[in-house]
Amino acid sequence: MNPNTQLSYALSCTRGRGGRRNTLKSTNNYIKVEIFLPLFRFFWINMATAMDGSSMSPSADGLVNLEMDSQRTLYPYVTGSSVLGIKYKDGILLASDTGGSYGSTLRFKGVERIKVIGKHSLLGASGEISDFQEILKYLDELILYDNMWDDGNSLGPKEVHNYLTRVMYNRRNKFDPLWNSLVLAGVKNGEKHLGVVTMLGVHYEDNHVSTGFGNHLAVPILRKEWREDLTFEEAVKILEKCLMVLLYRDRSSINKFQIAKVTEEGATIYPPYSLKTFWEFAAFKEPAKNAQGSW
Amino acid sequence: MEAVKQGSAAIGLRSTSHVVLATVNKTSSELSSHQKKVFKIDDHIGVAIAGLTADGRVLSRYMRNECINHSFVYENPLPVGRLVVRLADKAQVCTQRSWKRPYGVGLLVSGMDELGAHLYYNCPSGNYFEYQAFAIGSRSQAAKTYLERRFESYDKYSGEELIKDALFAIKETLQGEVLTSKVCTVAIVGVGEPFHIVDQKKIQEMIDAMEVTGEAVAEDEQGDDYSTRGATSMES
Repeated sequence: MNPNTQLSYALSCTRGRGGRRNTLKSTNNYIKVEIFLPLFRFFWINMATAMDGSSMSPSADGLVNLEMDSQRTLYPYVTGSSVLGIKYKDGILLASDTGGSYGSTLRFKGVERIKVIGKHSLLGASGEISDFQEILKYLDELILYDNMWDDGNSLGPKEVHNYLTRVMYNRRNKFDPLWNSLVLAGVKNGEKHLGVVTMLGVHYEDNHVSTGFGNHLAVPILRKEWREDLTFEEAVKILEKCLMVLLYRDRSSINKFQIAKVTEEGATIYPPYSLKTFWEFAAFKEPAKNAQGSW
Repeated sequence: MEAVKQGSAAIGLRSTSHVVLATVNKTSSELSSHQKKVFKIDDHIGVAIAGLTADGRVLSRYMRNECINHSFVYENPLPVGRLVVRLADKAQVCTQRSWKRPYGVGLLVSGMDELGAHLYYNCPSGNYFEYQAFAIGSRSQAAKTYLERRFESYDKYSGEELIKDALFAIKETLQGEVLTSKVCTVAIVGVGEPFHIVDQKKIQEMIDAMEVTGEAVAEDEQGDDYSTRGATSMES
């Protein structure tokens, strides 16, 4: 049995039915060759063919090729802001705004950053939107193969969370991360699961989570107000409070939100809506009134 | 298939909460130790083999790999049904390539997963079936007859009762030889109980208890024994 198989499972972002097909998905211009030699399963070698005119260019160590540098993810371009997640009595709620920023410009205002995965889970992402779409493709394939087994088993939120952790961590190890902080929520067999995976592969679970700016602005509110057995309305109220704070204080958020719910019965994403804001606070009008200045 | 019939017996029984495997230990000579026929694949899956043990060992290694890979990526145990399908596909390949030979071993795969307790039988042909109770190997027909009479009530049995029945079935295959804990290996997996081989002492106690209560087992085996005797040292 090939001793590399265990790691190649984790390395490969696609899986054949019970098999060890190692197809690579990357976004560079070289033509990729699916290599089946057991020895090379650890390395991913991109071979340029005669067609595009350049010559074979593996570097000395075969792992990091100088010409590949420009193909690695260096910075995110179109980014989503925070995602919030909270467990309540019947399941889990996720909330995010629908904005996609292009640097400091709020370029896209209708980006759905929470999606349904399979039967039992929801995935929300902040960070690079294109990487989120890539992850959705991977998960789509994963769920497809899971359904193809056509037995009573199905992948639950815990399995998807762990799978994503493997993917994110291995991409990070290749210095080509998927620039996202993912929130994975789901309910299976009565068990609620709410977890986060970051672009470094850091993963954890909790009763309430948030990403991005939410870590600084929403987490204190959630810590103070979360209780076991919240009703749906109470949970929405807490989330809206957090979303308001983020709207006022996070530059990259917009006043258009989506809330998604997942329970034992399944997952639903509600249509986007806005919150009523109030900008006439005295503190907003004269923020520096009582500030101590040096001149 | 013939190799399976000539190996020494292995039987499996299942209830809704437990699965029990039992095998007859065959020694190639008085001086040697017996062949290992029961393998733990993961905390929730174990197999008993009949036939070419070398092939059985190789397949066990493959199954262990599959289980651990799945656990690593998904942090959840591999569902038994999926492992069995992969095993069957692997066996099928060997029946369709001219330069390969089929695996000469039948496997009784027992396991627990989300959907409950399972007992599968994997043939060298690549077929697999799920069973409530089954027996393979030489003189397994006697055990099968015994199980056929009793299997309908197995669903409600506890682990202990299943082991008792398994020992009875093993007794059938021995056909006259004395049943002691040295002759058989019993393993169990169930709800809250990871797969493990039951201690020899405990088995001996259960055997003694069986004899004391003198539970009568109807000795009306049909006698149409399809399997032959005379196994070589390769098989067990």
